[in-house]
Amino acid sequence: MVLLRIRNITRVFGALIALRDVSFEVNRSEILGLIGPNGAGKSTLFNVISGFHRPDKGRIFFKDTEITGLRVDRIAAMGISRIFQEPTLFMQETVFENVFSGFHRHYREPAWNAFLHTPAANREEAVSRKKAAEILDFMDLGAMRDELAANLPHGHQRSLAIAIALACGPELLLLDEPVTGMNPSETEVMIEKIRQIRERGVTVLIVEHDMRAVMSLCDRIVVLNLGEKLLEGPPDKIKNDQRVIEAYLGKQVI
Amino acid sequence: MKLPDSLALVKAHRYKWIAIAIVLIALTALPLLIENNYIKHLLIMACVGTILGMTFSMLFSAGLITLGAAAFYAVGAYSSTILVMNAGLSFWAAIPLTLIITAVLALGFGAVFVRNAGVAFVIITLIFVQVVVLAVAQVEFLGGWGGIIGIPRPDPIGKVNFATKTDYYYLILAMLLLTIVVFNALYSSRIGRAWRAIKLSPNLAGTLGINPYRYRLLAFVVGSTTASLAGCFYAHYSQSITPGAFGGWLSIYVQLYAVLGGLEFYILGPAIGALVMTFVPEYLRIVKEWEPIITGVLLLIVILFFPGGILGTIRSPQALNMSNLQSLLKWLKVLLPHNKNG
Repeated sequence: MVLLRIRNITRVFGALIALRDVSFEVNRSEILGLIGPNGAGKSTLFNVISGFHRPDKGRIFFKDTEITGLRVDRIAAMGISRIFQEPTLFMQETVFENVFSGFHRHYREPAWNAFLHTPAANREEAVSRKKAAEILDFMDLGAMRDELAANLPHGHQRSLAIAIALACGPELLLLDEPVTGMNPSETEVMIEKIRQIRERGVTVLIVEHDMRAVMSLCDRIVVLNLGEKLLEGPPDKIKNDQRVIEAYLGKQVI
Repeated sequence: MKLPDSLALVKAHRYKWIAIAIVLIALTALPLLIENNYIKHLLIMACVGTILGMTFSMLFSAGLITLGAAAFYAVGAYSSTILVMNAGLSFWAAIPLTLIITAVLALGFGAVFVRNAGVAFVIITLIFVQVVVLAVAQVEFLGGWGGIIGIPRPDPIGKVNFATKTDYYYLILAMLLLTIVVFNALYSSRIGRAWRAIKLSPNLAGTLGINPYRYRLLAFVVGSTTASLAGCFYAHYSQSITPGAFGGWLSIYVQLYAVLGGLEFYILGPAIGALVMTFVPEYLRIVKEWEPIITGVLLLIVILFFPGGILGTIRSPQALNMSNLQSLLKWLKVLLPHNKNG
């Protein structure tokens, strides 16, 4: 079943065509890798899907509902969470508060009741607190819950960013370079976490430069080059494709 | 050894309530201990300043910096004055009506203003407060630059007839406490968390499904309406209002209350700041003409060297901005020998 349908997306920045007529689909419960050399348009595509950029042409459907050009918070509320490439956290808040803030869209009690602190609203918050603690434990951040996000090491900040996104309860998770810059053992742990996230029923679209991680993690891979889709298929097919190797290595090697 | 979480929490909670009870008793007993009417007046104005400073902090908590805090303070003052003097309403009926009028106005203006966060919002509010003052001054019905005099005292409730400063003190104290309760309820709910999220990272807040525009607008409306409540009080306390009293300087003062007390302390910060800024200049016997200059210099000193304000610096002394302090010392070193030779 198709969860996210990207149809003929084009995005232009001045004279630069960042994305040209890109189309592909993300199936429910799969881990789809999005790879390509620098400047291929991967991050732009993430920004287009999550609503930070409006596409110049093309349409995007999530669960058969068109989301093209919707506001960032509307898209998030539909069940798409994204992680930014640069650690984007509430740096001056504690780890726990960071995750707790992620529950915003889950509250069913009206804001008025939250303001009045009615018993029902308080119960709802208590449930969120409990779930936030569970997510922290799941991402191995339980011991750091009272640290300021700014004081965490880089790797833990990445985990925290994912924890916040999980608090949103997404159906689709967009991960922008989750293991880039990590050492092999950290990478291994993160890959395992992403697999477990998928097992929880979350579909994952991942941009990553670490090829070993991508090849071992992804069910399918889409290759972008210079804003266009070069190829799409399972890791084995991508690994050995001459066009992909050329795109990555460039002409100086050939 | 750290206490177990729950135990530490219970203890912190108990101390908090004891502290609140002591402060409440002290605030209630204060006018009984003070004979001097002028000091009572200063206390009253510190309460007004605290409310205004808290409205600045509320917008700040949502990532908005306003230089127009006085605009809706003026709207409140003029609105309740007109409602009482021209429409013949009692002060007590004029208050809720004024709050509704201001809320509607704030919703209308805010809907346009908060679309622009950052510097644009600062400049818009700065211009807005000047426009409000100039506009009011042009309307003959509102008394022009001369303002309105002879505004009646609040209508008596039982034996309380507002003939003394003490009566006014209890009125503003009640308004202040109400504001604190309402603001605290907002800050401690998911609304306050959404505000902080927008302030700390608008992008991340957006990806959590928080609509920054809607929450900023809410802060603007609540803040503006609260400022107008202080305006109602001020008009019937001073019994005369002029457009000049609501000019740009007042907004700078309001900002200073919040910054001096500590920007991260949304309630206590403005209270400390307003108390200090009301009483210290009096005791230093500063000439009135010099006050704005000293205020301006103080604001610069706090922003440059004590960005955490009084409370922030007490909580974590490392919040002192050493790099700015060092560059100041460097400058002094450069300047001093030069002066000797010259």
